[in-house]
Amino acid sequence: MAITGPSGCGKSTLLHLIGCVDTPSSGSLLFERRDTSQLSEAERGRLRLTRIGFVFQRFFLLPMLSAAENVELPQAEAGATASERRARTRELLDYVGLADRADHLPSQLSGGEMQRVAIARALANRPALLVADEPTGELDDETGEHVAALFDRVNAGGTAVLVVTHNPALAARASRRLAMKSGRLVE
Amino acid sequence: MTSFALAWRTAKRYRARTLLAIAGVAVIGALLFDMLLLSRGLLLSFADLLDSSGFDIRVVSGEGLAARLPIADSARLADDIRRLPDVEHVLMIRIEPATVLATGKPPRGISLIGSSDAEQSWRIVKGSSLGSPAAAAEACPVLVTRPLAAALGLTPGDSVSINVRPPGVASALPAVACRIFGIADFAFATNDELTAVTTMEAFRQAMGGGQPDADLVLVSSKPGAPPGRALRAIAGLRTSLRAYSNEDVVAQFNRNGFAYFRQISLVLSSLTMVFAFLLVATLLTVSINQRLGEIAALRALGIGRPRIASMLLWESALLVGGGGLLALPLGQLLALVLDRILRQMPGIPERMHFFVFEPRALAIHLVLLMFTAAAAAVYPVWLTARLPIADTLRREVLGWCRWSKRGMSAGCFRCPPVRWWRCATCHWPSTQASTWRSPGRPAAASRRCCI
Repeated sequence: MAITGPSGCGKSTLLHLIGCVDTPSSGSLLFERRDTSQLSEAERGRLRLTRIGFVFQRFFLLPMLSAAENVELPQAEAGATASERRARTRELLDYVGLADRADHLPSQLSGGEMQRVAIARALANRPALLVADEPTGELDDETGEHVAALFDRVNAGGTAVLVVTHNPALAARASRRLAMKSGRLVE
Repeated sequence: MTSFALAWRTAKRYRARTLLAIAGVAVIGALLFDMLLLSRGLLLSFADLLDSSGFDIRVVSGEGLAARLPIADSARLADDIRRLPDVEHVLMIRIEPATVLATGKPPRGISLIGSSDAEQSWRIVKGSSLGSPAAAAEACPVLVTRPLAAALGLTPGDSVSINVRPPGVASALPAVACRIFGIADFAFATNDELTAVTTMEAFRQAMGGGQPDADLVLVSSKPGAPPGRALRAIAGLRTSLRAYSNEDVVAQFNRNGFAYFRQISLVLSSLTMVFAFLLVATLLTVSINQRLGEIAALRALGIGRPRIASMLLWESALLVGGGGLLALPLGQLLALVLDRILRQMPGIPERMHFFVFEPRALAIHLVLLMFTAAAAAVYPVWLTARLPIADTLRREVLGWCRWSKRGMSAGCFRCPPVRWWRCATCHWPSTQASTWRSPGRPAAASRRCCI
């Protein structure tokens, strides 16, 4: 699913609400039949860790960790053992086509590679939902195309993908497109 | 990836900040360590000096240690003490001001010590001691301190005349001819003290022939004697006298003579701790403010507050711990220099030290630094714990777009990597060329990159 709309219309706010990093000021929000607005901060954190993956416009990889370590971090937080983490990380980096860049620091990666590592990190704990805020915002068209193709594969693998974007090409790939205007979904 | 590993990597990643913090804490920690050494240095040194004299009990007149008045009938007291079962050795001491006259030199004022034992409390650096056969045959054998020997050009074998001048008494005591047998270092003598020591018999002659009373009786207990029993027995001999153990003497000096250093040390230790706290807290806070987006993203990914808090605590511990460890050799070196300077003050016994190492000081140093590290991390931890994730992520993107002069409608493109001077490595196609402006630089300094 893609959400588009002019700047300031509330796309990112909606994304943050769905991603459980923010709570609605009124109403309720159900995720897997649970009202997330009733959850404590710790419970929402656990939900984000295990069921929701985040991809950011600015990647936000930890600069002091290698690509593999960045992918391992959420798994470590979720309590995976070292051998489980290594195997899953290898699998994910292979999945995003960066198996040979596992030991590189983010500063040694291109923008597209960094975003692919960020996607691998978001998928680390096998989330049910992947939310992405302008995932191609910092990438050129060709690299953005590769990242979009990766989202297609993730979605085909059974993970719901919700993308907020200004990129018409990325939005066009979504099976469902929503537009927002002044804080409301208009289509 | 443990919190410690994250903190370690962060410290390595931000090397300049890390080195700056460690250097700052090392300097501050060195001062703290020195203040801890100073707080008890004189006391430990003084206790060591007392213990090294070989006597564990000091008996003085009822007026106390400071007055040091002659003890009436001290010879009989010494005999009584010698007869006590727990006493091994007794030494009588009498000190009086005197004038010494050497051939061709002007008279010099000195402290003349009469000692009932010929082999106590000094170290011969030249010549022989008062216990040597030649000295025993001499009517007035004398040992002099190095400053006195230097002042009068004295060497063993020289003759001098000594004239005792008791204070507050109009006396016309005769000068006594004495011979120098040795030059010695006295345990309690200051580095500029003009002192001579002779036998009690010679001292009696110098005092006009009457039996002089000692003003200090030093006693050593027998090895293995129950602690305090000899002291209690001595105190029971004459209630008008005061008997002190070495611990009593140290405690008395601690209350009076050394309180000044303890207070200075306390004030300066507290100040240095505050400086260390401010330095590390500031650096951590600045560092956290630079990494708010990163931390908000971690929180969004589900990384819990405890892990981020413990990472910051470890960061603080690494900075303070690294600096604290460096502070030890640095502080020790500084202590040597300061000790040398302070020992040049007049009236300080040559064997006294201001800065004395003890394991207790090291333990306190480490505990204080641990406390400082924990306290310095409190505000940054609080800052990250209450970080509004969504707002921070939004601010990060908005701030970036404004800073890079890009329109939001364009999705806020930028040239990777972040720093403009590295834009040459950019791999964008020329159609997405953008003007890059370094923060804080005028437009003229702008660079066109990614072309």
